[in-house]
Parts: sequence; structure tokens; C-alpha cells
Amino acid sequence: MMNIELQDVRFSYGPVRALDGVTLEIGEGACGLLGPNGAGKSTLLKILLGFLVPSAGEGLVLGHDIRKDSFGIRRVVGYMPEDDCFIPGLDAVSFTAYFGELSGMPRAEAMKRAHDVLYYVGLGEARYRLLETYSAGMKQRLKLAQALVHDPKILFLDEPTSNLDPQGRTEILELIADISSKKDLHVLISSHILTDIEQTCTSLVILNKGKVAAQGELAALREVQFSLYEMKVKGETKSFLDALRAAGCRVEETVDQLLKIYLPASMDRREVFHRAEKAGLQIRHFVKSRTSLEDLFARTVGVD
Amino acid sequence: MAIAERGYTHWPGTLDPARRPWRTIARQGIRLAWRRKFFKFVLSFSLLPALVFTAGVYISERLGDFKNMLKGADRFLQINPDYFKAYYASSGVPFMMLVIMVLAGAGLIADDLRHNALPLYFSRPLRKRDYAGGKFATLAFFLLALTLVPGLLFILLKIIFSGSLKLLTDFPWLPFSVVGWSVVVSSFFSLYTLFLSSLSRSRRYASILMLAVYFLSDVFFAIFMGIFHEPAFLLLSIQMNLRQLAAAFMGAKPQFDVPWFYSVLVLAAGAGLAIFVLHKKIRGAEVIR
Repeated sequence: MMNIELQDVRFSYGPVRALDGVTLEIGEGACGLLGPNGAGKSTLLKILLGFLVPSAGEGLVLGHDIRKDSFGIRRVVGYMPEDDCFIPGLDAVSFTAYFGELSGMPRAEAMKRAHDVLYYVGLGEARYRLLETYSAGMKQRLKLAQALVHDPKILFLDEPTSNLDPQGRTEILELIADISSKKDLHVLISSHILTDIEQTCTSLVILNKGKVAAQGELAALREVQFSLYEMKVKGETKSFLDALRAAGCRVEETVDQLLKIYLPASMDRREVFHRAEKAGLQIRHFVKSRTSLEDLFARTVGVD
Repeated sequence: MAIAERGYTHWPGTLDPARRPWRTIARQGIRLAWRRKFFKFVLSFSLLPALVFTAGVYISERLGDFKNMLKGADRFLQINPDYFKAYYASSGVPFMMLVIMVLAGAGLIADDLRHNALPLYFSRPLRKRDYAGGKFATLAFFLLALTLVPGLLFILLKIIFSGSLKLLTDFPWLPFSVVGWSVVVSSFFSLYTLFLSSLSRSRRYASILMLAVYFLSDVFFAIFMGIFHEPAFLLLSIQMNLRQLAAAFMGAKPQFDVPWFYSVLVLAAGAGLAIFVLHKKIRGAEVIR
């Protein structure tokens, strides 16, 4: 079942085109929304929530139309914004219960649930402290608590680990991993931190310059987009490497003379051997390597 | 097992799509303002004129007992529409309303802008009018406590102390005027406050703006009136417009010979501008085009 389906969605901030014909499908589980700064990730989340109306295109979030039924979407979505958000003068329980009530929960239920989610995110002991006294990590957990209080079916997390120290980051990622392990609670994480996505997500959408650069299951993407091979050769490599580049491969040379060859999906690995033979090289080492998300991202977005 | 160790659990209830979120926002706003001791003190202090006028209502029925104390001042203790006009327009009530607006209202939207709370509100099933209505109701609650409650109390106490309904038979429209005036002035001031609060991310700047606009409008009126001796310049002053309107509501003679509906138009234009700006400023995402 698809949770989110978008068809040719476009949005511009004046002359700046933020989303340019985004078409994507996001299924169950945890999905990463990856892209460099300015790729359109936050804009996409705001469109999915109905904060912004696309200039063109259609879309559904859990069956609710992004143009016509933003209220339906907001009832089933929990949103954790990127920036620090709080209401001065409130403690965590009042704050979380307040937003539960605004979502449509009865007051007493919202208060009870606020206690539960605050314990869940690790703020149980600090729940009566004023929010102004919270650290960056605590505020991040609080944002997660308010996103969870009304028991959404899908969570939108915008840069959930920004401004966190390594310990805080690990804890938030563990929470997200626990949340996304529930079969009926799905997570869409927007981030430019690749390792966060790698740790928590099973599927991925890469945005670049307002367009979908890649999407699908993380494991499949690693395979489909390109294959990475590591090799060592004996002989003059220049003509060999030039030939590979001309064939559409990306080649990296490490300090210990290891060559990392990224083959396009259309290219067979035997081509590498043929070109080595033509260049008069001996191949001493040739092994398929597991591509990291960093490799995938760099390759897709076109950065080193 | 501790909740934290249980992992995430679902809420078994169902969300109510028919609730009124503005009431939740208003309740929270009132609670937040009431938590501040200084605000409680100022609100109590601002009820002082109401207390004095209540005493006036009592004394008006015991003029004989207070003859020595009043020494001819009993002409001010005729409980009629002028008495109400005196309370609403010239007893310091407008100034106390301004102080309440600054303390309880300056941060209503400015704080949400400063602390990026609007995306949290609008990620809920909430319309702009729910949000603005909740903030409006927060402020209107306190302003009506200074206008509507004392006005109706004066009428009620006069009836009780005099033991007759003469006030109502003489001026049957008076309760409606009290309600009408209280609603109009509270609504105008609430919109005025929300408008200026939405222009800044700082509660302090919003407070300064509120005071500055209010008093500068008076200053401009005084300057132009001094130079040109033309009472129509009262239309520049928020306070003078409200006084004209108060006189019209209470069926009393206005201070200046300028038609009261001009003041209505000026105040309505101000309210319209406030609603327009609020519509533009209140949204879940900042869009810079």
C-alpha cells in the first residue's frame, strides 16, 4: 500500500523553482527524504501538510488529497518541524496535551496521553519543567512528543537530529527506529545527514534541485543505480581509466593504488576486463564492493 | 513495566472532528496570562474604577447619609447613561484596557512567531480563523471583564439598592447599550492588539508599538486641533473616536460636534486593516516571494 503518492507536483517561491515536477510513491515503513540544502525537502513536507499549495500536480497522503483535504491529512500525520518550536511559559505536559487537544483529543485523554509520550521520548522526569529551560536535545524530544501525542499514522520528521550532540543524536535515532518498527506507524524523515537515513530507513527518495533524482528501496537503489567494484591493476592506467570514463563509469583512485569503479546499471562488469586487456593491464584484484549511501548520494546528486 | 520500557503504544480513542479549537487556544491563553503575578495585580488594580463607580451606585441611593461628605458632588451621582459614559470613556478605563492589552496581548502572536509555534498549530486540523479566534477570545475575555461585567453590575446593583426598576423603565435600551459598547470596544482593542502583535517577533516591540500608536494618535489630534481648531481631527485619535462612540452608545452628548458614524467608519477601517494583516501574517509556513 502506498502512503504517499505525488504526481508532477510543482511549486515556486517567486522566480525560484523549489519543486519541479515531483512524482513519487512512498510505501510503508521508514522512508528517507534526502537531498542537499535547497533541494526542496522542507517544501515537499509543507506541501504534504497543506501549508503550501502546489502550483501544479496532484497528490495523496494516506488517501487524502493534498489540495482538498489538508484537515484529513493533519489528523493522521504528526509533524516534527526543523526549527525549535515551543510556547514560553508552558511545561512539557501542558504543551504536549495542548497540541493533543488541538488535534481533537478530549482534554483528559490528551493530558493522560501527554504523560505517556513524554515518558516514551525520555522526558518523563523533566515533564513539569518550563520549556525555556530545556536543552537543544530536550526540545528535539519534545517536538517528537507533540508529533506523537494524537497517535498519527504517519510521522513527518524534518531534520530530526539537527543541533544534537552525538549522544542525543543516537538516542533520537533509536527512538525513530523503535517508532518505525511498528507496522502501522510510518515515518518520513527529511535529512541531509546520510548516516541518519542509512540507520533508520528502508526506502529512500533523493531530491536534487527540486526534482526526484532517485527513489525506491534502499537496498535495491544501491544495486540498480550503479555497481561499485574495487580493483588493483599493474601497468599504465591512464588510457584504461579514460576508456572507462568514456563508457560512463565514475572512477576514483585511492592513495594505496586501489581503484573504485562505479559501473552504470547498463554496463556489464566484463566490459572492465575487455578494456583492461585492450590497455594491456593486468588485473590483480577485482571485487564487488557494497556501496554506501554516501556513494549513492554523491553519484545521484552529482557531487564528490 | 515502566512506560519508557514498553515502547511506543497507540492511543485507543478517536479524534473528534467537531470540536472547537479556538476554545482550547483561548483557555490556554487566559491560563498563561493568569499565571503571571504582575498581571493578576494589574488586572485587580484596573478594576479599581469599577469599584469606585459601584460605590457611587450605592451612595446614589443613600445621598442623605453621605450629605456631609458629598458637599454638592451628588450631581455626579445621578445613575443615568451619562454615569455609564463617564465610566467607559473618561475614568481611566481605556488606559487600563491598554495596560491589560500590553500585558496579556502583546505576546499572543509575537511569541508564537518568535518561537516558531505556528507550524505546530497548523500541523493540526486548524483554520486561520480558529487560531485568530482563540487569540481574540483570550484578550476579549479580559477586556469584557473591564467593560461588560462592571456595566451590567452597575445596572443590577442600582436595581437592588433602589428596590425599583426605574432605571430600566427610564432607559430600557441601557443594558443593550452596555453590551453593545463593551463588545465593540473589546473587539476593536482585541483586533488592534493582535494586529500589532503579529507585526513583530518580539513581545517588547509589539508592546511599544501598541502604546506608541495609541498615544501618538492622541498627540496628532492635539497638535492639529491646536493649530486648526477643527474638531474633525479627532478622527485621528483612537481614544477620541472611542469616546465619541461611547457617547453615541449611551445616548449622551458627545464631547465634540462631529457625527459619531465618522468614528464608526474610522474604527471599522482600522479593524478591517487588522483582519487583512492577520490573514496575511498567520500561516503555517513562511513564504517569501
